[in-house]
Amino acid sequence: MTSAPENGTPGKSVTSQSIDQDEDAVVIIGSGAGGGTLAYELTAKGIPVVVLEAGPYLTHDDYVNNEWESFNQMAWLDPRTTSGSWRVARDFPNLPAWIVKAVGGTTTHWSGATPRFKEHEFKTRSVYGRVDDANLLDWPIGLEDLAPYYDRAEKAMGSTHVHGRPPLPANNNYKVFANGAERAGYKFYATGPYATNAEEYDGRPASIQDGFNFQGDKNRSKWSILVREMPRAEATGLLDLRPDSQAVQITHDAEGRADAVLYLDKEGNLHRQAAKVVCVAANSIETPRLLLLSATPRFPDGLANSSGQVGRNYMRHLTGTVWGHFDKPVRMYRGETMAGLIGDESLHDPDRGFAGGYYLETISLGPAFMAAFVEPGAWGPDFTKLLDAYTNSAGMWIVGEDMPQESNRVTLNTTVKDVNGLPVPNVHYDDHPNDVAMREHAYTAGEKVYGAVGAQSTHRTPPYPSTHNLGTARMSERREDGVVDRWGRAHDVRNLFVSDGSAFTSGAAANPTLTIVALAIRQADYIAEELKAQRI
Amino acid sequence: MVFPAKYPSLNATEMTEEARQTLIRVLRVAFPHESVPDGPYERTADTILTEAQNETWFRVALTQGLLSLNQMADGDFRTLDDESALKVLRRVEGTEFFGFVRRTAVLNLYDDADVWEALGYEGPSFEHGGYINRGFNDLDWLPDPRVEFPVGETMPEMAQGAAGVPRPVAEGHTTDSTNQPGATSSDMEEVKK
Ligand SMILES: Cc1cc2nc3c(=O)[nH]c(=O)nc-3n(C[C@H](O)[C@H](O)[C@H](O)COP(=O)(O)OP(=O)(O)OC[C@H]3O[C@@H](n4cnc5c(N)ncnc54)[C@H](O)[C@@H]3O)c2cc1C
Repeated sequence: MTSAPENGTPGKSVTSQSIDQDEDAVVIIGSGAGGGTLAYELTAKGIPVVVLEAGPYLTHDDYVNNEWESFNQMAWLDPRTTSGSWRVARDFPNLPAWIVKAVGGTTTHWSGATPRFKEHEFKTRSVYGRVDDANLLDWPIGLEDLAPYYDRAEKAMGSTHVHGRPPLPANNNYKVFANGAERAGYKFYATGPYATNAEEYDGRPASIQDGFNFQGDKNRSKWSILVREMPRAEATGLLDLRPDSQAVQITHDAEGRADAVLYLDKEGNLHRQAAKVVCVAANSIETPRLLLLSATPRFPDGLANSSGQVGRNYMRHLTGTVWGHFDKPVRMYRGETMAGLIGDESLHDPDRGFAGGYYLETISLGPAFMAAFVEPGAWGPDFTKLLDAYTNSAGMWIVGEDMPQESNRVTLNTTVKDVNGLPVPNVHYDDHPNDVAMREHAYTAGEKVYGAVGAQSTHRTPPYPSTHNLGTARMSERREDGVVDRWGRAHDVRNLFVSDGSAFTSGAAANPTLTIVALAIRQADYIAEELKAQRI
Repeated sequence: MVFPAKYPSLNATEMTEEARQTLIRVLRVAFPHESVPDGPYERTADTILTEAQNETWFRVALTQGLLSLNQMADGDFRTLDDESALKVLRRVEGTEFFGFVRRTAVLNLYDDADVWEALGYEGPSFEHGGYINRGFNDLDWLPDPRVEFPVGETMPEMAQGAAGVPRPVAEGHTTDSTNQPGATSSDMEEVKK
C-alpha cells in the first residue's frame, strides 16, 4: 500500500482481506514493533490475522519535517497521568511517554539503534545478586534462545555493521562524539548498529542524511513496520488491518479462554471481533491498561493477573542527555540522528557503584524540541544561552538499564477519563538508587567525552518522556513471578499472548526494539506450531 | 465595559494594544536572543493572546498579570531596563500568569523559521535532498574518526571483579521468591560488624 485509504468503513478492514467479525480469528492488538512483526510473520506462514490499531494509517507522504507538527500528527496524546518522584512527573505530568498512535506504532518515530542484549542481561537476579527494593528476576530464556532470532531481526531491519551491511558514514555530531570518545580513553565506538541503510538494501534506498528520522523518515531508508512488515503482510492477502480501532476489552468464555476483543472505531461505535488467539502489543502502558480493563469476576484483578504483576516493574531506561558547546560549528542536526554509539560503559562492573551498564549514543534535536526539553521549566538568559549555542552544540543520549521495581507501576486512574469514558492509565515511577548512581556516572562520562575535544561548557538534560517502555507484563519461569511464559503466553490464559516490550523481564542497557522484534519473530514460530498442532 | 468600576484597570478583561506591547517586552526579557528580530516575539505574543482569548481563566490571568507588572514597575513595565525588568519577572515566576506565558512561548517562539535562522538551524531538509550532499559531514576541526568497532576486539561484557556466573546457592535454600528475594545468592550484602 503506498497511500492510506481515505474512506474505509469505521472499524473495518482497509486492506483487501476482510475477516468476519464472528469468525474466531487471530487478533493482534497494536501494529508497532511487536504487533507489526507478528502480523507479518504469521501471514507469511499462511495464517490470516486481524490487526486492531488505535491510530490512523499515515504514510511517508504525510510525514513532515517539523518537530511539533510531526509530534501532533503521530504521538499518543490521549490523557495520561503520572506520579512518583521521577522528574518526568514534574516536567510533563500528562505526557509520561513519547510513543506513537498510528499504523506502524513507535517504529515510525524511532531512530534506529539496534544493540543486542548481552548474555548476563538475561540473568540479572543471579548475576547482580540481591539489590534492595529491586524486583530482579532471571528471564526464562537466555541469549542462546534468542541468538538465531536476533540474526533474523537484524536482517529484517537491515542493521548496519552486521550481516555484511556497511556502516553509515560519520556525520558532524558523530565526529565530535567519536573523537571525544577516543581521547577520553574509550575504544568501542562506531556509527551503529543502526537500522537505517547506508546503501540500498531490501528495496529501501540509502539514507540521504536529512536529519528527520524522529519525524518518520520520508525517504524510507529507515526500517519501520510501515516500510517493511505492513506492505508485505498485506501482499500475502491475509492481513485484515483496521486502523482507528482501539481495543477496550478482551473477553473470555466459561473456561477462561479469551474469546473476543471489543474495540471502538473512530466514531465511538463498539465492535466485537471473535478470537481464537489474542496477541497484545499495545506498548507497555496500554498493554497492562487493557488487561486491567478486562477484569471480570473470574479475573478480578485484571486478565492474566493472578500474580499481581500486571502493570508492575515498569521500566523506561534511566536516560539523560549531555550537550557539549564548542567554539566552532558542529551542526549536529545534519544527518542520521542516532548513528553513533559508545559501548565501553555497557558492561556490568559493580566497582563503578551500580549494577548493570549503559550506552552513550548521539542525539540531536531541532530548536523547537531543544527549547521544550533542554531544561524544562527554565527561562531567562541562562536558558537562552543554551539555544544561542545551537550551531556549536553536540549531543549525546544516555541509555542504561534501570531496575525493575514492583512499585513502578501502571494502574487505572478512575478519577480521570479519556474521551471514551475509560479510566486513563497512571504511570508511577521512582528512580532506584542504582538508577541515580548510574545516571550520575553517565553524565560525568559524557562530560568527559566532550571535555576531551575542547567543549567550553556542557549541559545535563533530565530524562525526556519515556521512549522505551518495558516490563509491565513480564516473562517468568514460574507463574507467581510474572505474567507470561518463555513464549510470551499468559500463564493464566492459554490463548492470550503479550507481544511487545511489556514482556521484558529486565531492561538491559540496549535500546529495546531489536529484542522486541526478535521475540515477536520467535513467538510467531511458536504460535504457528501450536495452531498447527491444534494446541490453541 | 458593563459595570462602571471603581478601579477600571482591575476590571479590564480585554487586551489593549498597550497590553500587547507589554507582553512583547516580557517575551524579550524572558527569552533574550540578540540575533532574533522582533517578528517572532510579536507572533508569539499574538499566539498567547489568541490562546488566552479561548480560555476565560487564562485571559483573566494574563490581563491581571500584565497590569500587575506595571504596578511592580511603579508605572510602565516597558520603560524598565533589561536588568530591572528581569528582576520583576523573577518575582512573578511562580504565578499562573507567568507559567502560561512561559509554556506557550517555549512551544511557539522556537517553532518559527526566523528564530531557526537566527540560531543557525536550517529547517526542513527532505525537499532539498537532505544533507548527503550539503554538508552532513563538513565539520573540519577534528580528524575523521573510524566508524567501525576496533578490529579483532570484543566489547567487554563483565568487569573482572564481577561474578560472571550465578553464585552457588547455599545448600537447603529454597529458590528466592522474586518479590522478597533472599540474600543467599547475593554479592551485595550489607556488611555489619
Ligand atoms: C523518538 C524515539 C526514538 C526511538 N529510538 C529508538 C532506537 O534508536 N532504538 C530502539 O531500540 N528503540 C527506539 N525507540 C523505541 C521504539 O520505538 C519502541 O521500543 C518500539 O516501537 C516499541 O514497540 P511496541 O511494539 O512495544 O510498541 P509500539 O511500537 O509503540 O506500538 C504499539 C501500537 O499499539 C497501538 N495501541 C495501543 N493501545 C491500543 C489499543 N488499545 N488498541 C489498539 N491499538 C493500540 C499504538 O497506537 C501503537 O501503534 C524510540 C522511540 C522514540 C519515540
